[in-house]
Amino acid sequence: MSRTVDTRLADVRRLLGFARAVYEERARIAPGIAAATGLTPEGVELGFESLEQEASDAELRALVAGAEETRHVHVVLSANVFVAPLRALALARAAAERVTVRPSPRDPALAVALLQAAASAGEEAFEQVDDREVADLEAGEIHVYGRDATIATVRARVRPGVVVRGHAAGMGMAVVSLRADLDVAADALARDVVAFDQRGCLSPRVAIVRGNAARAGRFAEALHAALGSWEARVPRGRLLEDEGIDARRWRDAATFAGRVWGADRWAVALAAEGAALYVPPAGRHLTVVPASSDRAVAAAMAPLAGRIVAVGTDAPAEIAGLAPGHARLSALGAMQRPPLDGPVDRRPGRV
Amino acid sequence: MSRPCRREESDGLHARARAMVLAFERGHAMPEGFDALAVGLARFQARSVPGYGRLCAARGVDPDRAQRASDMPAVPTDAFKLAPVFAFDPGDARVTFRTSGTMLGARGAHAMRDVRTYDAAALVFGRVMLFHGLAPPVPVLVVGPSPGEAPDSSLTHMCALFARALAPEASVERTFFVREGALDVEGLRARVASLATAVPVVLLATSFALVHLLDALDGRALPLPPGSRVMQTGGFKGKSREVAPGELRREAARTLRVPERAILGEYGMTELSTQFWEATLVHQGARHGVYVEPPWARVVPVDPETLAPVAEGAVGIARIEDLANVDSAFAVLAQDRVRRVEGGFELLGRAADATPRGCSIALDEMLSSTNESG
Repeated sequence: MSRTVDTRLADVRRLLGFARAVYEERARIAPGIAAATGLTPEGVELGFESLEQEASDAELRALVAGAEETRHVHVVLSANVFVAPLRALALARAAAERVTVRPSPRDPALAVALLQAAASAGEEAFEQVDDREVADLEAGEIHVYGRDATIATVRARVRPGVVVRGHAAGMGMAVVSLRADLDVAADALARDVVAFDQRGCLSPRVAIVRGNAARAGRFAEALHAALGSWEARVPRGRLLEDEGIDARRWRDAATFAGRVWGADRWAVALAAEGAALYVPPAGRHLTVVPASSDRAVAAAMAPLAGRIVAVGTDAPAEIAGLAPGHARLSALGAMQRPPLDGPVDRRPGRV
Repeated sequence: MSRPCRREESDGLHARARAMVLAFERGHAMPEGFDALAVGLARFQARSVPGYGRLCAARGVDPDRAQRASDMPAVPTDAFKLAPVFAFDPGDARVTFRTSGTMLGARGAHAMRDVRTYDAAALVFGRVMLFHGLAPPVPVLVVGPSPGEAPDSSLTHMCALFARALAPEASVERTFFVREGALDVEGLRARVASLATAVPVVLLATSFALVHLLDALDGRALPLPPGSRVMQTGGFKGKSREVAPGELRREAARTLRVPERAILGEYGMTELSTQFWEATLVHQGARHGVYVEPPWARVVPVDPETLAPVAEGAVGIARIEDLANVDSAFAVLAQDRVRRVEGGFELLGRAADATPRGCSIALDEMLSSTNESG
């Protein structure tokens, strides 16, 4: 079971080659992805821009270094954005010579396409298994991508000695600095919101705007305009019934508590500094909250720290000390494309 | 609206609401129609509660043109956690009830300037549905904390109200049997043992407290005098093992030696001033699981997305119109699913989440926001 680092790097690089092949042939699987995810065709195309096809040597070395080597990894894909299987397979392949994959029953397209591309190229490391009972696994690791409840269920069923690495649901946050051009920041953030119709664990749901309420209001208005512009280019897809209900509830309660821009297709709410933060549901909804100081930024993040996977900002150096240490820090507009240097979700306690 | 005018208008609306309650208690015809008072409340609240004014404006609703309660939007229960939902100066709040559930640490608050309307509504309908056929003094046993221990719980307030009405002389120690968060089983057993067998009692409990009591008794009986009745309310909120309503009722009936029909479900919320009851004690044909409203409150199942009333017999989200909510929100949108049936409405609990798409955290995963009786 001891592959050299270079072998492991080569194994992951080959996988990126399969990703490029899938990307080239994406028109074939895009309709199925649209049907499964509810995204519009334009939304699927935008989502494909987040599919990792390239990575620097340093990034891949970091990914391999962080993957503890084992004989076999079984990957359970339950709930994810549709491009997520690539990183999941890369992490598994960095760790193991043999990778079995249970694609998401709801949205199997990209995982299946990657496995088919691998098989076509003669790669034997991967195997698709649709009905593996996790309790049958005698050794190795199980990588589960899904809700807390799904991860807990898997943990409860595995044999002693089998390591379960959970990649749970989460959310993104944005911080807009005092120096930011509000229109530029709003347009960049809108891209992060629109991708996957905000259903990713990197998707921003709250934007903290340094400054007073008036500045936060101007940003909310700019974000509303930017989301409107994105809607014209990349229309939002269908929401699940639950998502629609949550959206309605959030919009009405946010209207009661403050000001809301937008309506059915997207909405931006302005909350008061220090007020209870009402995190919106997925689907292109954001809560904007002013923060008059760095301390207020940290205070706004604190109750959500365990849920924050990513922080997008125009001023990474200023924000680094305020965001949770595990959060991926990205530029606004690039939150959905973190480097392929390890898991997206770096929150502690996931093993 | 100037403050004295607002107060005067509020006082007038309280008087109209209490007149309805009083008429019901006396078996008289209602002094006015439901919609007439509802529209009066809606107009007052839209002018005096800034959030409600915004909600009306966002929906394009002009309160001055409203003809019926259903013309006006309902306030989602989440709003009580986010913003003030009261039509008076904060310093005038006589009592503030708070939800047990939180939203990222914030509890919902329902402040009241004049608690008499709440008390009248709770007591009059409680007398009809729970105390039916009992003449004070009747011992009241509360498997819950006293107002001293839980001053902001609307449920505790209601229990204390019932205790004062039925057993004015009883001390706190002889009435409330959760002390410093712990169930005093032996105290309750001793109290029950001391009761005269000829006088029935009223035992009030949350569902999880009832489970704790049954677990603590571990199969031993705690026989209540004949004619006694039991109120159970609320969900389990992770505070005890979960037991299906029918099973809990059967276990409680066996342990407390009361007929199942004398165990009544109550449905209330911190955000409301009125409670709803199962009618098995007062109506021969009534069944468990069906709750009835008094004439000053309505539960309307609505489509969760359009918020329009659903077809008769269909399941919807509960839009609760409560005319005793004078200074807050006369219409509240709960998260519970309900269905109209003959004689009342069925409470079906929260909808189970559909399989989610993506890895974005779901609202319910993030918020531990239970809004039942607090």
